[in-house]
Amino acid sequence: MITIKDLHVNIDGKPILKGLSIQVKEGEVHAIMGPNGSGKSTLASVLAGREEYEVISGEIDFNGTDLLSLSIEERAREGLFLAFQYPIEIPGVSNVNFLRAAINEIREHKGEKPISAKEFMALVREKSALVELDSKLASRSVNEGFSGGEKKRNEIFQMAMLNPVLSILDETDSGLDIDALRIVAKGVNELKTAKNATIIITHYQRLLDYIVPDFVHVLFDGRIVKTAGKELALELEEKGYDWLKENPIN
Amino acid sequence: MNTPVKTILQAFRENLPPAALSLPIDLKVTTEIELSLMDFPSSKHESWKYTRLRRVSNLKLVNNILQPLDWSIYTMVKDAYTLVFQNATCIYQSPVLPDGVSIKIGGEINSADWVVSTNEGHAAKLNVAHAQNGCLINIEKGIQVDKPLQLIFISDGSQQANFWRNQLQIERGANAKIHVGYFSNQASDAYSNAYWGISLKENSHLEMTKIQNDTDLNFHFSTEHVGQLKDSNFTLNTLTLNGAFVRNDVLINVEGENCESHLVGAYIMKDAQHVDNHTTVNHIAPNCNSFELYKGVIDGNATAVFNGKVFVRPNAQKINAFQSNANVLLSDTATVNSKPELEIYADDVKCSHGSTTGQLDPEAIFYLRSRGISEEEARQMVVAAFMQDVLTKVASVELRHFIYQQLVSRFNWQLPEIAV
Repeated sequence: MITIKDLHVNIDGKPILKGLSIQVKEGEVHAIMGPNGSGKSTLASVLAGREEYEVISGEIDFNGTDLLSLSIEERAREGLFLAFQYPIEIPGVSNVNFLRAAINEIREHKGEKPISAKEFMALVREKSALVELDSKLASRSVNEGFSGGEKKRNEIFQMAMLNPVLSILDETDSGLDIDALRIVAKGVNELKTAKNATIIITHYQRLLDYIVPDFVHVLFDGRIVKTAGKELALELEEKGYDWLKENPIN
Repeated sequence: MNTPVKTILQAFRENLPPAALSLPIDLKVTTEIELSLMDFPSSKHESWKYTRLRRVSNLKLVNNILQPLDWSIYTMVKDAYTLVFQNATCIYQSPVLPDGVSIKIGGEINSADWVVSTNEGHAAKLNVAHAQNGCLINIEKGIQVDKPLQLIFISDGSQQANFWRNQLQIERGANAKIHVGYFSNQASDAYSNAYWGISLKENSHLEMTKIQNDTDLNFHFSTEHVGQLKDSNFTLNTLTLNGAFVRNDVLINVEGENCESHLVGAYIMKDAQHVDNHTTVNHIAPNCNSFELYKGVIDGNATAVFNGKVFVRPNAQKINAFQSNANVLLSDTATVNSKPELEIYADDVKCSHGSTTGQLDPEAIFYLRSRGISEEEARQMVVAAFMQDVLTKVASVELRHFIYQQLVSRFNWQLPEIAV
C-alpha cells in the first residue's frame, strides 16, 4: 500500500528524517514508536503533506502514485487520513457540513455521485455511535469547546466517515484516559478490514494493548533502527528508549 | 483683483442639477454658503485620512435618459412594502400600505416635512444641494408594522449622478423593520449619494438593514443621522458586498435614557474596492447600552477603513458601550486602517473597544484540506465562519438568504446546505 524509501526531511535546514524506509501492506497495522524528537510526528506531517517540511530526497509510493507529488487534499482523496495529535478548533465551521463537503470531494474524485442528505445523516448516526460521540457534538463547530478526549474521538469519527485506505494515528493516545483510549481503540479495530491499513505513531505501549500491531518499528534519530513483531512494544515499555542512545544502530 | 479660482468641488457640481425636492430654506441657504467656502476634504482632514476623494472628484457626471428596467432582480425579500427608485424616478410603490404607515415621495414632500435633516460633512451637504428624489416615511404611534419596508435604490447608467434624500420617523411605541438596498445597473463611473434622517421616539423599535451591492465601478456615499429618544431600540446592519468606493457615515445621538443602539457591519471585498465605515455613537443621556461590531474580509488590492467613535458625555452615567472591529486580510496587497476611539467624560461607565487584523489560520486550512477539501473551499469555509456572527445578526432569514446568494455569485461562497 505504501512504500517509503530512504526519506530525508529537513525543517528550517535541520535534518529530522535521515533515510527512513518502511513498507506497509493491505490489512496490516504498523506501530512506529520512539523517543521524543526522533521524527515520529514529522513522518506523519510529511505523509499528510504539511508544507513547511522540506523533503530532501527519498520516495513515497502510495498505491502506485507518487505521494509527494500530490497536494494535501489529493492525498486525502486518494484515501490517506491523518488523525491529528492536536486537533485544531475551527469556530464557525460545522463539523458535519465540512465532512459532507469532504465526502463529496472524495466521491467526485472516485467518479461517484454526491451523498444524499438522508444517506449522510444515517452515516453520521452510525459512525458517531461507534466512537460514542454525542451526535449533537458531531454537528457543532469543528472541535470547538471539545474536551481532549472528545477531540480525539472526533478524529476517529471523521476517519470512520471518510473511510480511508491508510490511516495514520499521530499520538492519538496521548492525554487520553483509559475509557477514552478504549473507545478510540474500539473504533479503530472496527474500521479495520483486509483492504485498509493503519500506522500508529506513539510514544507509549499502552494503546497497543488495545490495537494489536502486526509490526513494531523503532524510530530513532530519523531512522528506523529496529523492526519486529508486537513483542517489541513490550520490550520497549520495559527497557525504555535509553538503550538506543548507547547503541544507536543495533 | 484676481479672478477667484474654481474649486474642484465647484467644478464637480457644475453639471449637477439643483435640488428637485423642496427642502427647508435655511438648510438650503446655509448649505450653499458652506459649499461655496469649501472643497473636497483632503487626507489632511482627520475623517478623510485614509480615503482619498480624487477618483470621486474626477468623475464627470450626467443625467441619463431613463431606460425600462426589470427591477425584480434587486428584490431582497418578497413579502414587503416596496418602493423602488431608478435614478431620480420612483418606478414602483406597493399599492397598499398598512394603517399608520405613510410614505411621501418626491413632489409630495413639503419643505416643512423635513424635521430631521442635517448637512454635516461634504456628502450630506451635496445631498442637500442636489437632492433629486427620496421618501419620507412616518410610522404612527404604537403601530407594529407587520411586514418589512423594502427600499430599492438603483443607480442606472454610466456616469449617472444620484442624490436620494430620505426621512424616517418612528413615533412613540411603534416598531418597524426596513431593508434598504443600493444597487446599480450598467453604472460605470457613476455616483450615488443617499441620506437618511432618522428619528426614534420614546419606546420605539427600528431595525434597518442596508445592503450595498453596487457594481464595481460605482461610487457610493451613504449617510444616516439618527436621534434616539427614551427607551428606544435601534439596530443598523450595514452589509457592503460590492462597489468601487463606498463611504458610510453613521451618527447616532442617544438623547434619552434606557436606549439600546446596535451597529453591525460586514464588508467583503476584493479587487480594487475601497470601503470606509465611519460611525459615531454619541451618548448624551445616562443608562444606555450601545453595541458595535464591524467585521471585514479584504482580498486583492482592496482597502477597508474603519473609524468608530463613541462619546460619553458628562451626564451620561451608567453607559455600557462595546465596540469592536475585526478584519481578515486574504492577500499581501489588501489594506486595513482601523481606528476605534472612545471619548469618555462621565465617571461611572463601562466601555470597551478593540480592533484586530489578521490572516486566515493556516492550521485550520491545513486541517480542512487534510480531509479532502480543496484549498479554495477550505479558505472560503474559514472566511464564512469568520463572518458568520455578523451575517446572522440580520434577523430576517429571507434577507440573509438574499445576502448569501450575492456572496455565492460574487465570491463563490458555498451555501450552508444542512443544519443538523
